[in-house]
Amino acid sequence: MTPVTGQYDAPRQKQRERSGILEQMWLNRFDYLYVLPAILVMLIVIAYPIYYTIDLSFFKTPPSLQLRDKIFVGTDNYAAILSSDVFWRVTMNTVVWTIASTLFAFVLGLGAALALHREFVGRGVLRAILIIPWVISAVAASYIWKWIYHSDFGVIGAVLVGLGLTDRPPNFIDSVNTVLPSLIVVNVWREFPFAMIMLMAGLQTVPEQLLRAATVDGAGAWQRFWHVTFPHLRSVSTVTILLLAVANFNSFIIPWIMTGGGPASASHIWITHIYELAFGRQRWGVAAAYSVLLFLILMAFGYFYVRALSGSERKDHGE
Amino acid sequence: MTAVTNIAVPKAPKSRKPIDGWRWVGRIFLVLMLLYTAVPMIWMLLTSIKSGFAAMQFPPQWWPDEPTLASYQKLLDPNNSVGQDFLRFFWNSLFVSTATTVLSVAVAVPAAYAFSRFSFPGRRFLFFSVLLRNMFPAVIFLVPLFILMRLLGLVNTHGSLILTYLTFGLPLAIWLLRGFYDNIPIQLEQAARIDGATRFQAFVLIVMPLSVPGIIATAIYSFIGAWNEYIFAYTFLNKNEQLTLPVGIQRFFSENTTDFPGLMAASFMMSVPVVVLFLLLQRYFVRALTEGAVKH
Repeated sequence: MTPVTGQYDAPRQKQRERSGILEQMWLNRFDYLYVLPAILVMLIVIAYPIYYTIDLSFFKTPPSLQLRDKIFVGTDNYAAILSSDVFWRVTMNTVVWTIASTLFAFVLGLGAALALHREFVGRGVLRAILIIPWVISAVAASYIWKWIYHSDFGVIGAVLVGLGLTDRPPNFIDSVNTVLPSLIVVNVWREFPFAMIMLMAGLQTVPEQLLRAATVDGAGAWQRFWHVTFPHLRSVSTVTILLLAVANFNSFIIPWIMTGGGPASASHIWITHIYELAFGRQRWGVAAAYSVLLFLILMAFGYFYVRALSGSERKDHGE
Repeated sequence: MTAVTNIAVPKAPKSRKPIDGWRWVGRIFLVLMLLYTAVPMIWMLLTSIKSGFAAMQFPPQWWPDEPTLASYQKLLDPNNSVGQDFLRFFWNSLFVSTATTVLSVAVAVPAAYAFSRFSFPGRRFLFFSVLLRNMFPAVIFLVPLFILMRLLGLVNTHGSLILTYLTFGLPLAIWLLRGFYDNIPIQLEQAARIDGATRFQAFVLIVMPLSVPGIIATAIYSFIGAWNEYIFAYTFLNKNEQLTLPVGIQRFFSENTTDFPGLMAASFMMSVPVVVLFLLLQRYFVRALTEGAVKH
């Protein structure tokens, strides 16, 4: 029996290698059944909207969004955006918001992960408490902080006055200068636990022997961190930073609930601005053009994103 | 024994000193982080047990003079209009989140398994398009989805939310689950196949039971994601009786801007289900997130 199957298998194997992509797809046709539901749902809800947004960005649309009445205007929407002052201010805010939030969330998360790495009494409880802000809804978080920042009855203002640092409670989120940093504090509050979780897991992969070897060789704590621990955290750090950056670039709820982009657009970031253009002022075409620009930026982001993630995948398959 | 202590003794004093300094830095840092994390939540709780009058004082009452549960009673009382609304929002959120969770798991499990095990052409492409989707913000999709929902007749229904949450939760769900499947040895299935199981049987009977932690984790993420989602709910739903909690609370308190104890009580109650879920299933929750990103 065995020689027969051997003879049978060899040509089939060969044919399989030589066959074109269509044939391979056919041979693996049942594999697609497993992915089909996911792909189908994504096509309806994702591919169509993307096509639609690009299309709409070339039209002037009536506020009612009755699409029969749209007028083709070419690239006017894009020109209008790029020449407006608000666009550049909002872009600046977005850059500050994204970089500062990502940086602080990562650094605080790294610090917490390192400090929580060694065993001590109450470590589990502490870790759980630190993660809670990440679990609760951003809407709840926004209201909690809005109340904390309240210009008359806010607790931070009261503490500052109590310590004699100011005469009157400061206007954290009603002032053009302080609103963005204040919102970043809230955002970091919600996001550092994510970095912490990722990095704690990353720390588990640092081999204990290496650290001990470094100690024997006389390396100080800082040297051990920099030369042993940190290189092991590189790939997980890259993924964490990218995920944080994308999430921050896309954030909406905190600025929207807390300030609605105000005062004087000082806390508008791209997403809230697009939302306001579309649903607030009903300028659908302009909002769509904005979305397309956003899309292009994200594609650039996406290049690094995919590279970082596929880097970790390749390693995984190599093993 | 003596040999062991002999080795340990010369080492200990050497490594003690430099570590101690950093240990203190770590402790102080943790205390500061604990304050940063916990103070806002504690202040929420303290405010929620004040009366409206007591909350609006300067300087504030650090501990409420007359603690009261009136805000909670109001929110949970089905006989007054506030309580009715709140309980309805709560129920809506629960329904939408549960339906989303069940569907997500049902769709993500086979997909993640396929991505982990099979090698059909386009597998990598599909996987990365799944990941890429995760990058795009909800706002880009709002207008077209709104129109799509209008076409499908789903505006102002929970169906519109379940469909969108399902789609937008899928990339993460698939990614998480794939991490779990990657770590289940393929030999187990091969053994089952040799014993005569079909590929599907091997999947259902061997792999599925082993991936229960992954499924639990994915379910928690779907549930929490759906429970906390705001933008789509804010855009797709208009009728008061349809609203989910985040939008319901926002709408309610944009009318009653000074009822901070009520707002804090509502924020607290909105957080309770997800925090409890997280605390109970913490293990899975933390493991799942890192399974995909960190390779063992």
